[in-house]
Amino acid sequence: MEKVLKKSDLGQWVARLKDFDLYGPVRENNHWEFNQISQLANFPEDYTQVNVPLKKILLPNREVLFQFEDNRNGGPYLQEVLPEEREVVVFGVRPCDARGIVLLEKVFSSEIPDIYFERRRQQVYVVGLSCYPLPGENCFCLSLGGGPFSTKGMDILLTKMQSKYFVEVLTPKGEKLIKAAPEYFFNPTDKDQQERQQLERKARAMFTRQIEGVEKIWPVLSQMFESPLWREESYRCLKCGICTYLCPTCHCFDITDEISSTAPLQGKRVRVWDTCQFPDFTMHSSGHNPRPDKASRLRQRIMHKFLYFVETFGDIMCTGCGRCVSKCPVGIDIIDILNKVASHGA
Amino acid sequence: MEHNPYLPQLARIISIKEEVGGARPIKTFHLELLNGHRFDFRCGQCAMISVFGKGESMISISSSPLIKEYLQFSILKMGRVTTALHEMEEGSIVGLRGPYGNGFPLEEWKGKNLIFIGGGIGLAPIWSVLQTALRQRDDFGQLTLFYGARTSQDLVFKDELKKLKETIPVYLSIDVKEPGWNEYVGFVPQNVLDKKPSPEKAIAITCGPPIMIKFVIKGLQELGFQDDQIFTTVENKMKCGIGKCGRCNIGHHYVCKDGPVYSWARLKTLPQEY
Repeated sequence: MEKVLKKSDLGQWVARLKDFDLYGPVRENNHWEFNQISQLANFPEDYTQVNVPLKKILLPNREVLFQFEDNRNGGPYLQEVLPEEREVVVFGVRPCDARGIVLLEKVFSSEIPDIYFERRRQQVYVVGLSCYPLPGENCFCLSLGGGPFSTKGMDILLTKMQSKYFVEVLTPKGEKLIKAAPEYFFNPTDKDQQERQQLERKARAMFTRQIEGVEKIWPVLSQMFESPLWREESYRCLKCGICTYLCPTCHCFDITDEISSTAPLQGKRVRVWDTCQFPDFTMHSSGHNPRPDKASRLRQRIMHKFLYFVETFGDIMCTGCGRCVSKCPVGIDIIDILNKVASHGA
Repeated sequence: MEHNPYLPQLARIISIKEEVGGARPIKTFHLELLNGHRFDFRCGQCAMISVFGKGESMISISSSPLIKEYLQFSILKMGRVTTALHEMEEGSIVGLRGPYGNGFPLEEWKGKNLIFIGGGIGLAPIWSVLQTALRQRDDFGQLTLFYGARTSQDLVFKDELKKLKETIPVYLSIDVKEPGWNEYVGFVPQNVLDKKPSPEKAIAITCGPPIMIKFVIKGLQELGFQDDQIFTTVENKMKCGIGKCGRCNIGHHYVCKDGPVYSWARLKTLPQEY
């Protein structure tokens, strides 16, 4: 379903969504984050991309799985802690972050479903914002089957036009949000349609970064396990892990116990984000480490996204958001690396 | 209610036996689930043991699935969780979730001769298969065990091995000569080459330190074993046990669910990240 919404009516619509917790881009120092908001009058002109992607709402960086404590009989007593029941609408989600959720679903909703992720997924409504102009200098979603107007993973996609938002309602969840204030939504005119199409064409022409021949990458990668490329590209890595923490699809986690009292024992088992870029991520208690150096860890990051995930789920685990390139303190550039890989297969 | 894969069941430690003392101590624990719940598993599968307040460790189950009274784990004191386990007493409560992993394909081994080759604590996963084969003796051909450790003190299941010798051929070894040791002195792979088990209708199952496995496989190949006749288990660090936390992978395989049991025919196609 396609609608239009007057720019001045955005705030009125959002105000009607009283039954939901609302999240939107909020400026913090020099960057944007998805934080809880009480109103949303507009998307600021300088809003580009949030720092920490949407995944933080579905897979929080610290999440209590259960609590344990010694009861009077001496034995531990376990109390499951499930995500609280609250419906959340996130506004201003860029297409790369929304597609990230679709990829996370493949991991967390397959085989043995992750009850924590699933609950949050059911409760989260994604209202996207298309990308014109492109939000980042390292955007390369177009090379990976995405695009600045991609709707994957969204319930609604908004496109900011001259005086209106073009509103693409994509799911029943999206329809539910519109129904909260139907009087603000109108059918688009032909001119609205044209304006939206034109913006998409212009946005698609703006990409400066791309991978030449992405389809070559995974067959080539399967032959590159021993390539010197990994050492060459990783020697300056600081092992900070920012490439994975800010990635919309990276999902590796640790499970650890936090105790608040030892006698009687009281504590929580928590899940926290972890990263394959840390040396002790794979280290056995014997000290043996299957991925002992920076080269093997960079290889793992690239191979997981562009080979292993393709073998398992038939999709690339990267949405081209460009954060790992923009935020890397030493300039390790996944786009360059992938172009080098692709050129091996040329 | 929806299944929560991270929530352990509670289990009681019903017995603890000290197998090995000294600087690298090993204890064998027998566990039972509280409330009489059953824990079904296959030989070669693992379970995640929780010591609340310390964390979790993935440990292979060393008892036979045919034994319903208890689950057996033989545990080397290594890190935070296993150290805490070593300090626990009979009657203590731990958490248990699982089982995890694929297990050994025992159904495909019916009628075959089974050759077990273990080193150190690596006897644990082998023990589950061996105990099952002994209980279903008619289903299998000849059973043979090769087992070695650094010193005679480091051998696990010493009492059980003594009894086992009355039933099947058991070839023990230690790395360096000790007074009073009448059996083989040298590494496990050499002992295997020395005794020359026949590959005819045989399956070799080997678990132990990576370096031992490497040379055992080489030795077995010299003796004429094909890659699909050799099975081993792989260990990698694990957290979730259900293929999500992204830690134990070898290529696109997750050892926690696609392993830990691999035929050499399968394992050799994967990158060497274990």
